[in-house]
Amino acid sequence: MKKWLLIPVVMLVLFFLYRQHHIANPVIRIGVLHSLTGTMAGSEAPLVDAVRLAVEETNQSGGIHGAKIQMIVSDCRSDANYCAAQAEKLISQDKVDALFGCWTSACRKAVKNVVEKHHHLLFYPLQYEGFEQSRDIFYTGAVPNQQIIPMVAWAMQTRGRRAYLIGSDYIFPHVANQIIRKLLFAKSGEVAGERYVPLGSHDFDQVAKEIASVHPDFVLNTLNGDSNRHFFLALQKAGISASDIPVFSSSIAEAELSSMPPGLMTGHYAAWNYFESVKSTENRAFIENFHRRFGQQRVVDDPMEAAYIGVHLWVNAMREAGSSNISAIKGELEKQAMNAPEGIVAVDADTHHLWKMVRIGRIRPDGQFDIVWQSGRSIGPRPFPFFISRADREKIESEYK
Amino acid sequence: MKIFTRLLLLFLLLSVLPLALLGYLNLQQDKARLRADALGRVGALADKKAMQVRSFLAERERNVRFLAQSPSAIAGFERLSRTYPADSAEDEALMKQYFDRYIEESAVFYDVFMITPKGDVIFTQKHEADFATNLLTGPWRNTQLAEVFRDASMTLEPVFSRQEMYPPSNGAALFIAAPIMKDGKFVGVLAMQLSNALFFKIASDAVGLGQSGEAVFGRKDEEYMVMATPLRYLVDGKEVLKLKLAESKHLSLYAAIFGRSGESVKKDYRGVQVVSAWRYLPELDWGMVVKMDEDEVFASISQERAVTFEFVLVLLVLSGILAYYFARQISKPLESLAKTADEMAKGSLDQRVDESAFGELGIFAKAFNRMAVNLQGIYGTLEDRIEERTQELNATNAKLHEEIAARRDAEEEIRNLAFYDVLTGLPNRRLLMDRLSLALALSQRNRQFGAVLFLDMDNFKTLNDTLGHDYGDLMLVEVSERLKSCVRDADTVARLGGDEFVVLLEDIDMQAAQALEKVALIAEKIREVLAHPYLLSGREHHSSPSIGVCMYLGQETPIDALLKHADMAMYGAKAAGKNTVRFFDPVMQKTVEKHAALERDLRLAVSGGQLGLHYQIQVDGDRRVYGAEALVRWMNPVSGMVLPGEFIPLAEESSLIVEIGDWVLDAACRQLSVWQSHESTRNLTIAVNVSAQQFKLADFVERVSAVLNAHGVEASKLKLELTESVVLSDAVEVADVVAKMRALKALGVKLALDDFGTGYSSLAYLKQLPLDQIKIDQSFVRHIATDYNDALMVKTIIDLAQNFDLDVIAEGVETEAQLAFLNQHGCLAYQGYLFGRPMPIETLEELLGPG
Repeated sequence: MKKWLLIPVVMLVLFFLYRQHHIANPVIRIGVLHSLTGTMAGSEAPLVDAVRLAVEETNQSGGIHGAKIQMIVSDCRSDANYCAAQAEKLISQDKVDALFGCWTSACRKAVKNVVEKHHHLLFYPLQYEGFEQSRDIFYTGAVPNQQIIPMVAWAMQTRGRRAYLIGSDYIFPHVANQIIRKLLFAKSGEVAGERYVPLGSHDFDQVAKEIASVHPDFVLNTLNGDSNRHFFLALQKAGISASDIPVFSSSIAEAELSSMPPGLMTGHYAAWNYFESVKSTENRAFIENFHRRFGQQRVVDDPMEAAYIGVHLWVNAMREAGSSNISAIKGELEKQAMNAPEGIVAVDADTHHLWKMVRIGRIRPDGQFDIVWQSGRSIGPRPFPFFISRADREKIESEYK
Repeated sequence: MKIFTRLLLLFLLLSVLPLALLGYLNLQQDKARLRADALGRVGALADKKAMQVRSFLAERERNVRFLAQSPSAIAGFERLSRTYPADSAEDEALMKQYFDRYIEESAVFYDVFMITPKGDVIFTQKHEADFATNLLTGPWRNTQLAEVFRDASMTLEPVFSRQEMYPPSNGAALFIAAPIMKDGKFVGVLAMQLSNALFFKIASDAVGLGQSGEAVFGRKDEEYMVMATPLRYLVDGKEVLKLKLAESKHLSLYAAIFGRSGESVKKDYRGVQVVSAWRYLPELDWGMVVKMDEDEVFASISQERAVTFEFVLVLLVLSGILAYYFARQISKPLESLAKTADEMAKGSLDQRVDESAFGELGIFAKAFNRMAVNLQGIYGTLEDRIEERTQELNATNAKLHEEIAARRDAEEEIRNLAFYDVLTGLPNRRLLMDRLSLALALSQRNRQFGAVLFLDMDNFKTLNDTLGHDYGDLMLVEVSERLKSCVRDADTVARLGGDEFVVLLEDIDMQAAQALEKVALIAEKIREVLAHPYLLSGREHHSSPSIGVCMYLGQETPIDALLKHADMAMYGAKAAGKNTVRFFDPVMQKTVEKHAALERDLRLAVSGGQLGLHYQIQVDGDRRVYGAEALVRWMNPVSGMVLPGEFIPLAEESSLIVEIGDWVLDAACRQLSVWQSHESTRNLTIAVNVSAQQFKLADFVERVSAVLNAHGVEASKLKLELTESVVLSDAVEVADVVAKMRALKALGVKLALDDFGTGYSSLAYLKQLPLDQIKIDQSFVRHIATDYNDALMVKTIIDLAQNFDLDVIAEGVETEAQLAFLNQHGCLAYQGYLFGRPMPIETLEELLGPG
């Protein structure tokens, strides 16, 4: 080669190297806030896997405009305040672009303060009691009209008017039962009994005895965590069968069932937006991917699905916004919809909640659900139920702030 | 490439290429940007449209919420529900009036329904067929109105129905229902039917979508995708399109109704390429597509492209013209320089170039012209000198030509001499070798057999010896003529020297057998022709050829070997009795080799004392021994005793015969001297044969004399036997022969003529010779008793001897009859087996002993 040709060639190579270096892909960070230790660890840990699956799917399909997503997982230690502090750290120090996390309402409310202070972005994947909306939070779980209200209405239609309410003694069961009381009242139902036990309580013999004695048409169970096992064991002990007095639970999903004694809850009911047994192409793909990544023995359930779609909605918004400006992302998020494993979900721009499918399932011996009822299409979120008057609403809100 | 083209291209490349590239890149980027812009714009329009539709619906929901909660409506509902199913015209009128705001005035709703928790439709504005029916049990229990009633009752929330066919209104209908609550109790449902006209108008409004833009809505209907609002473009004349889901996966609308959103450039339901954005509307469970035709969106880019193209084209032309003039300025003076230089090179030295070119070219032109002037000057002087030299050269040239001609003639002569025999004009050995090598090479190629004939004239030597060289030469000329007449022109007849000729026959035949036959024929013909008598200077001479033939094919046999083989064959012919044709074959070869070995051994024999003498006694008429003939014998240590017939002819071919002759003479004289010392043997004679070569020796007489003296032998006891060929070998020097014989006689030596009767000796010649004895050849003696002619011959010889006063002896006497005949006719000396075979001296002395 002639020497003078060498100079332009070298210059071109240098130029391309420079460009290559210049446009090197940055990393987009997200913070994941779930308890990996403490009483909530059993429920929350699988959600981290759901988030991870969505992140890895995104990274495999080219990331966000070439940028890979990096997960920073913070252990909330089942402590709302600690979790809030972690949120603060993720936002301020790690400069994450979004937060995914929380399970309990207490945790959400604590983190909400931090997120709102920074005008940051949180995806909350659990069904909850409603009466809340935030510019900075997207709720991918159900509000009462997408879970417990249809569940109660269906129970009344199919079982009768008399309901017995049992719940853990914390925010969600109290608010949920407030709503249920109003609903029962509106529909001429009757509260046959109402009991709250401390979180983690094991002693349900008294409750079982009471249920047996008042003999309601159905039981509405908003117990959380390990208490469920003991409650159902107590019911079994008291000779109460599912066909006699069915229990409708708001917090028992496939994950919980997989750790229960087999057959303990068979025949009882739960309401969710998603069951693993949903038949659709999207769900099949979701389960297959999850199994491939985390093992065949693992189950997926509603909160996991909600966590999973939260990431995808955010990714789609990021891709469409073309920037990491958070308010632009929120604007894009408000327009998002997707064909999720549960069916079509769409962000409700006004409330930052999702339009979701509603389903009621009867527990099978294998820990899966037979879907006995489902909404014809996605139901719009109503964090503030129509049938609760302004005065009642304000009362509840002030009570559980 | 010419400098002009090169400059032009370079200039254009440097000026236009970057420009064009830049323009192209710019256009590409513009297009990408425009595309992104267009997608963004359509996306924004889609979002806006979705928002529009959703906020319209939200507004309507708020209307329904408000009405469901309005005390007037609740009160009216309670009154109506109390009286139902009876008509309450007054309450109805009141309600109608109340709702008219929304229906008649703003026309946002089409109809209003009030339904009890049990499903009874207790009020409608329009009083269509659905009025006063039950939605749980009545005819419309499967309509979307019944559905929203059930949903609202169940969840106590406002709900939207699907938008689909509603038979009572005879058209598509969409309902919004909300529960009516009274003091926290669920008392009924208020449902309102949306006005299609207004809704469609809002949905289909294409403001901001340009000339071709459109918002399309669709929904799932089991296996189908149904367009929910009227389309802007008719397909097959239908405003509402119903497509199979499975067949419409490529459409944006398909993605939209399955909850996806996005933007892309793709084909729409018409198959036209459009820039489209799609969204999902959860309230309606609808998909929406907002789109604009691609042509319209990218109209500006095509225009821009055209402008850029024109711009680049104009620049190309302009810089082309500039480049042309610039390149011309450089290349034109160069061309003129080149042209002038070329003409000068061809000789026109008076050419000059234009010096007006700019810069270095001008300097170059001036320098060039100076060079031309100088060159012209030098060329002038050079030409004169060349003229001079040319004349000199011409003169020299002519001389040279003469010399060359002379040389050529001389060379021709030399070549002739070198290649042709002077006497016969035939090719000589050298040319023959040349021809042979060519012939062999040719044979190698064409695989034709050839043959080499080696000729030797029999008795030529005799002719030369008897009649002289002139006759010999005449004969050779004659032979060569005859030979030439026998062969084809293409064949070569060569003379190797003496009487040896070689005939080379080429291209005889491909087949060995045929070739052999043909060659044999030719050789036989030659033999016959050459055997005819020769008339040389008026004298007839008889001769014949011995012909050796050797065949060849290709170059397997070297030329030398070939000639040698032919030569050997010729010797074979001679050995076979002359006047014969012989082919070379290995047996012949062996014979020749044996011959050579014999000669070698003979030399050893002479020097190594292997020779010995045997004696055959000669007797007189009384059978008394008076002498003996000494006969040489070779006592070969390997093969035993060899007879002279086997080695004497061989010895005669070389100088060995002289040595043998000397040895025999010496040995005989030694024996004579032995005998002289004894009384009984003192008178015995010994006859010794003398060969022609021996006799021819100039000092032969002196040699004999020396031997006699050396042994002190009485000369008269020595008898020299000369054959006719010895004494007649050189007729020209017959005086010399006679003088030699006389000198021998003077020594006292006796002379005998051996083998008498076999030669052609004339009596006149015989008469001159000073002989003492004639020996009758045994061939005559053998048959004297039986053959009259032989008997007559012997008688004549004896008479002749008596007439010439010569002794006569007969050899080969084997029987008493022969002896009697010879004795009767006067021959009184004999030699033969009858008296004794040749024997060693010891045997002889034993024989003589008693005598």
